[in-house]
Amino acid sequence: MVGAIMAASSYSYSYSREKLQGLARSAKSATDLPPKLHRLRNLRRNLQGEASVFPAELLPLLFDLLSDQFGAARKFVAQILGEVGLNYVELLPEIVPLFIKSLQDDTPAVVRQVIASASALFRSTLHKFALQGLHSSELDELLQSSWTWMLKLKDEICSLAFKQGNSGVKLCAMKFVEALILLYTPDPSLSLDSQDFNISILRGGHPVLNIGDLSIEASQKLGSLLDQLRHPAAKSLNSSTIIFLINSLSSVAKKRPAYCGRILPVLLSLDAPSFLKGVHAAAANLALKTVFLSCLECTHPAAAPWKDRLIGALKEIEGGSQAEKAEDLFYTTNGSIQDKDCVEDTKVSVEENSLRANSVVAESNFGRKRSGSEYNIDLNGDALTGKRSRITPSVSGESTEGLNGNSVGSLPLVTSASTGPSNSRGVSDTGPVQQLVAMFGALVAQGEKAIGSLEILISSISADLLADVVMANMHNILLNGSSYADGTDELVMNMSIVGSDAQIKYPPSFVAGVLSLSTAFPPVAALINPHTPKTENEGEELCVNHVDQPIFPAVDAVIASGLSASSVNEEGNIELPPNVDYRGNIESGIPGLDSSAQRYVLSEAPVTSVLGSKNVEAASKNQDTSASGELLLAVIPSVSVDKSEEFSPKATGIGSNSLVSSTATSLASAPQFLLPKISAPVVNLSDEEKDSLQKLVFLRIVEAYKQVSMSGGSQLRFSLLAHLGVEFPSELDPWKMLQEHILSDYLSHEGHELTVRVLYRLYGEAEAEQDFFSSTTAASAYESFLVAVAEALRDSFPPSDKSLSKLLGDSPFLPKSVLKLLESFCCPESGDKVEKDLPSGDRVTQGLSAVWSLILTRPGIRNDCLKIALQSAVHPLEEIRMKAIRLVANKLYSLSFITQQIEEFAKDKLFSVVSCISSERGGAETLSKDCVKPVSGEGMDSSLEATSVTEAQRCLSLYFALCTKKHALFVHVFSIYKDASDPVKQAIHRQIPILVRTMGSSSELLKIIADPPNGSENLLMQVLQTLTEAAKPSSELIHTIRKLFDTRIKDVEIIFPILPFMTRDDVLRVFPHMVNLPMEKFQVALSRVLQGPSQSGPVLSPSEVLIAIHSIDPARDGIPLKQITDACNTCFAQRQTFTQQVLASVLNQLVQQIPLPMLFMRTVLQAIGAFPALSDFILEILSRLVSKQIWKYPKLWVGFLKCAQSTQPQSYKVLLQLPPTQLGNALTKISSLRAPLAAHASQPDIQSSLPRSTLAVLGLVPDSQGTQTSQVQASETQESQVQASETQESQVQANETQESQVQASGTQESQVQASETQERQVQASETQESQVQASETQESQVQASGTQESQVQASGTQESQVQASETQESQMQASETQECQGKQQASESQEQTSPSQQVSVPLSHSETDHNQETSQVVASHSQSSPIATGRSETSQSQSSPIGAGQSEVSQTTQVSDSDPPPAPTSHTQTSDSQVSGQRQPDNEKMEEDTATSENERSEVDKSKESSAEEEEEEE
Amino acid sequence: MRFRYAMVCSSNQNRSMEAHFLLKRQGLDVASYGTGSHVKLPGPSAREPNVYDFGTPYKQMFDELRRKDPELYKRNGILQMLKRNLNVKLAPQRWQDNAGDGVFDVVMTFEEKVFDSVLEDLNNREQSLMKTILVMNLEVKDNHEEAAIGGRLALELCQEIEGNETWEDTIDDIVAGFEKQQRRKLVYSISFY
Repeated sequence: MVGAIMAASSYSYSYSREKLQGLARSAKSATDLPPKLHRLRNLRRNLQGEASVFPAELLPLLFDLLSDQFGAARKFVAQILGEVGLNYVELLPEIVPLFIKSLQDDTPAVVRQVIASASALFRSTLHKFALQGLHSSELDELLQSSWTWMLKLKDEICSLAFKQGNSGVKLCAMKFVEALILLYTPDPSLSLDSQDFNISILRGGHPVLNIGDLSIEASQKLGSLLDQLRHPAAKSLNSSTIIFLINSLSSVAKKRPAYCGRILPVLLSLDAPSFLKGVHAAAANLALKTVFLSCLECTHPAAAPWKDRLIGALKEIEGGSQAEKAEDLFYTTNGSIQDKDCVEDTKVSVEENSLRANSVVAESNFGRKRSGSEYNIDLNGDALTGKRSRITPSVSGESTEGLNGNSVGSLPLVTSASTGPSNSRGVSDTGPVQQLVAMFGALVAQGEKAIGSLEILISSISADLLADVVMANMHNILLNGSSYADGTDELVMNMSIVGSDAQIKYPPSFVAGVLSLSTAFPPVAALINPHTPKTENEGEELCVNHVDQPIFPAVDAVIASGLSASSVNEEGNIELPPNVDYRGNIESGIPGLDSSAQRYVLSEAPVTSVLGSKNVEAASKNQDTSASGELLLAVIPSVSVDKSEEFSPKATGIGSNSLVSSTATSLASAPQFLLPKISAPVVNLSDEEKDSLQKLVFLRIVEAYKQVSMSGGSQLRFSLLAHLGVEFPSELDPWKMLQEHILSDYLSHEGHELTVRVLYRLYGEAEAEQDFFSSTTAASAYESFLVAVAEALRDSFPPSDKSLSKLLGDSPFLPKSVLKLLESFCCPESGDKVEKDLPSGDRVTQGLSAVWSLILTRPGIRNDCLKIALQSAVHPLEEIRMKAIRLVANKLYSLSFITQQIEEFAKDKLFSVVSCISSERGGAETLSKDCVKPVSGEGMDSSLEATSVTEAQRCLSLYFALCTKKHALFVHVFSIYKDASDPVKQAIHRQIPILVRTMGSSSELLKIIADPPNGSENLLMQVLQTLTEAAKPSSELIHTIRKLFDTRIKDVEIIFPILPFMTRDDVLRVFPHMVNLPMEKFQVALSRVLQGPSQSGPVLSPSEVLIAIHSIDPARDGIPLKQITDACNTCFAQRQTFTQQVLASVLNQLVQQIPLPMLFMRTVLQAIGAFPALSDFILEILSRLVSKQIWKYPKLWVGFLKCAQSTQPQSYKVLLQLPPTQLGNALTKISSLRAPLAAHASQPDIQSSLPRSTLAVLGLVPDSQGTQTSQVQASETQESQVQASETQESQVQANETQESQVQASGTQESQVQASETQERQVQASETQESQVQASETQESQVQASGTQESQVQASGTQESQVQASETQESQMQASETQECQGKQQASESQEQTSPSQQVSVPLSHSETDHNQETSQVVASHSQSSPIATGRSETSQSQSSPIGAGQSEVSQTTQVSDSDPPPAPTSHTQTSDSQVSGQRQPDNEKMEEDTATSENERSEVDKSKESSAEEEEEEE
Repeated sequence: MRFRYAMVCSSNQNRSMEAHFLLKRQGLDVASYGTGSHVKLPGPSAREPNVYDFGTPYKQMFDELRRKDPELYKRNGILQMLKRNLNVKLAPQRWQDNAGDGVFDVVMTFEEKVFDSVLEDLNNREQSLMKTILVMNLEVKDNHEEAAIGGRLALELCQEIEGNETWEDTIDDIVAGFEKQQRRKLVYSISFY
């Protein structure tokens, strides 16, 4: 439904009220904003289309909508209502109250819309109201009420303007106030018959409105606005309000100049810095500046008194230049602000310029502004119709007199504005000579026409005076010369042209005049040079004014020139000295051309002054000036009129001049000014001719280097060339010519200086805040020039030459292409010319050193240069890379400002090499291409490995180099090491030695070593190796490594490097770990230990090493026996080190140890094998062993026997020392000994010395062999019997498991020593058992004393007394047992009838002899090891528990022996017993926790193996 | 708040078009103008600029310059610039001649001279709508690089302004923030339609 209405309404232009209402209603009912706005828009459109009477019923609907929920809708309705109000004034009394209400709306946008609508309404209502009042005295009531409402609305809005609130609303309200002020005051710019509304119509009389009242109200409102800007109030304003106020007030001031007097003081006082501090000073300043400038243009008398202050304020705001501009503006009536635009607009239409000139004259001529209006219009009319066409005729008719008359006529115009007292200086300064010179000048300026007059003049004056005149003129000529010498090149150029042409082409009589007149030139030249814009306008004016008033503008020109000369003075321009000189001289010479003060002379000269000399003077003066202007400008075009610009340095200056010059040229044809010689040389050249001429000129300057440098003007020449290059059209390609010249002989042509000069010129051109096109052109010229020269230098000079880097260093800016060039030096592409260019290395050096100096001196391109250097530092070619790395690491890295970047880059490379190369190993060929730049295309796969090593090196070298500078960086090498691929690791390892050697063991390195990342062990090892290779490692290093070994890395290899430097104790402490290493590594360690630091000898002597090996306990140290034997073998293999002497001393020491080391006999055997010469010594050892009751160590006993066997027959003597029982045992074991030994013993002298029992064993006296054996057997098995006799039960248990056996003994013990703790009980009982065994073997006392030894040792240690006493207790027990054992034994030996013996003997008989023997050996073996342990660990009284284990072992042996089932092989048995022997430490544990048994099992298995091996060896 | 933006430089080629391009791409309601009397593009030398009237299509300039000296105009980036421009709008427009384009909320200028011209022009127009217009000047050198930077800054600025319902209350903060952050001077003024 609604949609249908909308559709209908939007396509139809005839709207019924219903439709409108429908729209309004639907808009009202719409709940969403977009459709609502859409309908309102339709409504508005329809209303606009409606021409008839407004549908009154629509209004309430709209009013309702004015309180709509959506702000946007309300705003739109307000807009509609505003438009309705405009069209239907009669509705205003209804609408306005709602507007007033809406001013309180929450949404600022609504309020603003209301104000905006109100503004339009107010204006139109006022208009209507005023007009109606004017035409009839009866006012429409409706209109009156509308007006009343409007006034109310106005008051409401005004109150909004002056109170705090939303800025947007406030700005609008204030704008309303501004509009109100403007409405209420008459507009002076509008004439009465204007179409626009002007309040001044009310002057005619209005029944209600009084213009005076309105003005008063406007004035009040203005006061309110101003008050806001006054000091205290302004501080609380935000800057947008301030800016608005400034703008608004300025527009009021502009439109109602009458208020200037009120507004300007406030604005001027705003300038106080204290005030501006708070607000946005720049914006406010800018606004103020604009205001002031526009006020300066104001022509109203109310503004006049403020001009000085305005200028002052502007000076403050803008600084000198702007104020000068203002001054110019003010005094020279050069009203338009000359900005760049007019400079650039060289080809802008004539109309525009003339318009400007028009406005200049019309608006801002201080002196002429009133009287000049009609005159100016004339002038404008002329100007508009086209100057060129009218110039000649208007001037041509004028004679000298006319000229003078004109000048007289024009003077009053100038002087009318004069306010100061008259200054007669101009007159008083003018002597007769000067007057004459001036007169000559004036006449000369008239050309041939005046020749007659000149001749009359010359003939009429005296010779002396004439000479004076000539001299005075000469003076000027000299001056000319001096300014020529000192002037800038532009000046020189103009001057030279002026000079030469004048001399060549002008008649002699004229030359003097020209020369004298040309002295007027310098100020003009000065003008042209630094103040081109002004010149242009002056020129413009000059030419425009020339048409009708030839003199008047000339005065202006003089004034301008004077002014600018003074401003030049102020600025301290280079040209200052000549100008000063010049003017000083001129003052006495030609009065009319005096300094800036001259303008007062001119303008203030009283009208009444006598026409005589004064007039002539004025005339001549003006004539001089204009003529000189013409001369200057005419002489230049005499070479080529239209293209004169190309000869002149400043295109802009000439641009204007050319206008003048054309004027002058055409003027020349006029009779008065006709200078035929001037017009003669005008030649019209074609473009090609011009070009070639220019080219010739350029080339001539280029080629003039010899002469120029001889005369010392090369600087000038450089400037000239650079300048010309910029100015020349590009078709001529001046740069190319210049380049050719420079490069043809760079050195002798001062190529560097010239290039740099050109570059600076171009750069200045590019950077000058000019517009787009000139800067881009210059920039591209700059770039190509620099690149061309740089490339030529590269190609033509050897790399060692410094020219290029000097050029780069001196250039003002380096574009990207040059940097690229540099890059190609430093990082040549691998396929590049490098291969061809052999000395490419030098090239790289050249490039790098250039980069270096650029980095140092050019912060701007530092990053780019650094990038080049860094790229070079990872260059694939090693030669290049190393050079760059040297630069980066040694020179650049220390520069604090780039350290970070370098580090980051190197780090990136470091990390990239890990990720990249490792991923490459994943097999992705594409990746490898990215990471590794193949040196050659083919053979990629085969050389992949090698490539990636070099590639890794490529990326890593820089980082390593940095590491040497900052050791802390090294840590990252460690951290990446773990993830690095093999090639990378290889690369790292290759570099580490050099790197670490350079670094030394610094504290940072130690820190890294102290906490190496996981996985970096290999690297660490290499580092350590390197560190210790060169010099003695510091104590800190040793300490660090030791600590590391103790805490983190258990690998003993890590301390290899410092082994030689460790203390003996430390080495001994770690020695077992070393033994545990594989053979090769142990060898390394061994050699290090033996090598020691050179000065103090080895840490351990060879004998110490051997002893250390022997003192290792496999069980305690957790080192397999095999390792220990291997270590021994290793030592024996090194016969040079482990010599016979060493071995002897080792054995000597070992044999003294109690108990004997486990491997002792093995070593002895090896020693015999290695050094047969030692046999005597060994026999001695053997005999000592006999005295030490070697047979009590079953394992050693076997070794002993083997040894005896291998050393027979010498060993017989030793054997015979054995007690008979042991001898019998020995002979049983090695039956082959029996016969030779018996034979030996049977020697009478020996036999006699032997006891009978021994002889019995040997069979030399009758005795049964079997009994002996069984006796031995019995004695051996007694232990178990004793055990068994104690409790039958425990023996049974022992049969079952070992643990239970221990448990049982514990139980057994608890009966004896109930008070003891469990552990100690075990110990005690075990000790007891060992005692038992001791007694059993009939050596109880010896054994006891042996045990006592260990007891003593134990008591000497930290172990508690309790334990000691405990052991003592058990000792007592032992002695008790001893007693009974002694008895027992006695009975046994005699009767051998003990029941248990009876049991055991048959059993043992069932076994083979050999078997028994073996089991014994095993037993003794397992026995020996605990003892050895006990000895070595002197600090603990472990011997006792171990003793217990030992007894257990033997017991077990017994048990297995007595096993009823068919006996397994001896091997099985022995290994079983071995197992039990090995298991004894575990048993202790098991008492505490039997659950660990499983764990043990594996251990047992291991030890089974090792023992099995050992067993084999033993056999 | 949907504001209308105008980007103004002297020739409506480089700076204003760069900003126009960027703002347009971000979906802002934007137009661009020049205040100079003519459109000038670099020529073979400083003294030989290519001068066009406002309203000459960019495409035409592009074709012309490409015909004249493709190497030169490619090197100094003119062709690229024109190509960019012709995709943004048809032809350069002069600010002073396009008062009929409607009401803008924000005008960005890139040169003080342009700023002054815009303000002067606004002041010379009849101010009857009572509608505020914010004129901001950001000094941007007239070359490609600086124009790119300036365009980006203008975009940031406009986006910030866009985030507000009205700019009158927040403009001081926005300007202060911008100056602090970018270390560039930003001058603004307020005028009325």
